[in-house]
Amino acid sequence: MIDWAWIVDHLDDLAGRAVQHFVLASIAVGVGFLVSMGLAIIAVRRARLRTILVGASGVLYTIPSLALFAALVPITGLSLLTAVIPLTLYTLLIFMRNILAGLDGVAPEVLEAADAMGYSGGTRLLRVELPLALPLIVGGLRLASVSTIGLVTVSGILGDRFGGLGFFIFEGYRRSFPTEIWLGAVPSIALAIAVDLLLVALQRRLSPWASTLPSAGDGAGDGSGEGAGSARQPRLAG
Amino acid sequence: MSTAERLVFEHVTKRYPGTGKNYQGAVEDLTLEVPAGKVCVLVGPSGCGKTTSLKMVNRLIEPTSGRILIGETDVAKQDVIALRRGIGYVIQQVGLFPHQTVAENVATVPRLLGWDESRRRARAGELLELVGLDPARYADRYPSALSGGERQRVGVARALAADPPVLLMDEPFGAVDPIVRERLQNELLNLQERIARTILFVTHDIDEAIKMGDLVAVLQVGGRLAQFGSPDEILANPASEFVARFVGADRGLKRLALSRVADLTLQTAVTARAGTDAADAKRRASADPLPYLLVVDERDRPLGWLDQRVIPESGALDPTDATPAVPVFDRHTTLKDALSMLLATDVQAGIVVDAAGAVRGLVTAEMIAERMRPGAG
Repeated sequence: MIDWAWIVDHLDDLAGRAVQHFVLASIAVGVGFLVSMGLAIIAVRRARLRTILVGASGVLYTIPSLALFAALVPITGLSLLTAVIPLTLYTLLIFMRNILAGLDGVAPEVLEAADAMGYSGGTRLLRVELPLALPLIVGGLRLASVSTIGLVTVSGILGDRFGGLGFFIFEGYRRSFPTEIWLGAVPSIALAIAVDLLLVALQRRLSPWASTLPSAGDGAGDGSGEGAGSARQPRLAG
Repeated sequence: MSTAERLVFEHVTKRYPGTGKNYQGAVEDLTLEVPAGKVCVLVGPSGCGKTTSLKMVNRLIEPTSGRILIGETDVAKQDVIALRRGIGYVIQQVGLFPHQTVAENVATVPRLLGWDESRRRARAGELLELVGLDPARYADRYPSALSGGERQRVGVARALAADPPVLLMDEPFGAVDPIVRERLQNELLNLQERIARTILFVTHDIDEAIKMGDLVAVLQVGGRLAQFGSPDEILANPASEFVARFVGADRGLKRLALSRVADLTLQTAVTARAGTDAADAKRRASADPLPYLLVVDERDRPLGWLDQRVIPESGALDPTDATPAVPVFDRHTTLKDALSMLLATDVQAGIVVDAAGAVRGLVTAEMIAERMRPGAG
């Protein structure tokens, strides 16, 4: 079934491919995140621009990945750019949607309070809106990371300088050697899961307030808390 | 502590483009002055422009014409960010920042003003104490872990953080249940006794307006000021049919809750000490329209009522069989409570005592009715 001896012989190779896989995915997710964040901040209060940007990123997302890699080869050659551009473009839709949903989700009364206390527009965005959108933004980061780690394997179509762990899958398929296919598939799945767990931990760390949210809605909480709080009320006579 | 400033509306109008004069939220030529340190309540039906008026003070809405002054300064001539940092703002939904702890929320404006961490923390603790929340218990909680009433207290503390001379409150207690609302209202009144800010308070509830306001401005749809005056003036002499209907048919009873025994000129009580000459007491009681003698102890504290017909012709006055000396009021008793107690007793007079419990005089239902007659008081 699985040729363990072959795997042990190729552990160095595995490490190199895994690093390449991670680097390709990181570049795509990182660039995609920065571009999306910029576009989302520009678009959030401009309805028309926003429709155009979300629509465009949606159209990009529908292009099959193999076709996109192939289409870029005449323009950018068999280069890193050819591998990274499609991976990046596919993250845009995920990021745009999540960042905008996160910013939209900030309650209007919170924004009104922020304005009334004298936040300027930029400070409000930085200290109120983005922190409150963070859980959804990190949600987008998780989704984009997992899907990009999957897609990196496809970039192996561009030859053995790319594809990360996908290289093993293409090679194993070509040589009808299942062990090599496993060597590509299992670690790439493991990498996706590991990155996802890491991002969950990051989100908990960055937004502790969100993880303490009670599952029941607010407002009903006026029972025990109110009574307990009132016992300490200092009161003035008449 | 900074001092409170007066708040002045001068011919303030807000029209929305393409709408008529009576458009919801419009304001028409509003002129009023809230003296420094007073609470002015804007009250009226929905769409009367009360919230619009409030939001024009911190320029969340800009007026179409007219001026709003804080002290002597036109708010339109100030930098809008600086203006807002100097005005406290409390809204019904509170609008606490969910991602910040209670202490961080309270210290919002101090942080914007660049205070250092330790000063902010100290100020937040001080304010939480002021609104009745133990800082040790509440400072590091997130808003999601608070009850509705606790959130509203944190909202008030946050509004007071930079010690603003003017406080805007838009239906601050509209979203909590009636028992919590009553408690929060009382706490705010107590707090206001200590801090004496100038407060502009919006509500649609006339009872809340009467309770909270030193001054009440009744607005009607189209943002026209229907009447501006003390709660008692508005209840006693409604300026129009609209105001009369808005304050309600029971406005007379509402007025009773605003006046206290101390506002009345007390009737002199015919009293006699227990153990003194009964004949003299009977003679004096018979000369008084009230058919009862009030027997008191050696320090003039009431012991009981004696019907003048049962007072013996001679001997010493004995209070043993006297009717209990009720009701007893002090000068802070509201006329509403006094009348209610009077209606439930045999002797149609209430005994007013001073802090030491000594009799100062009597109050009758007739005296209360007299004071409440239209045009009186």
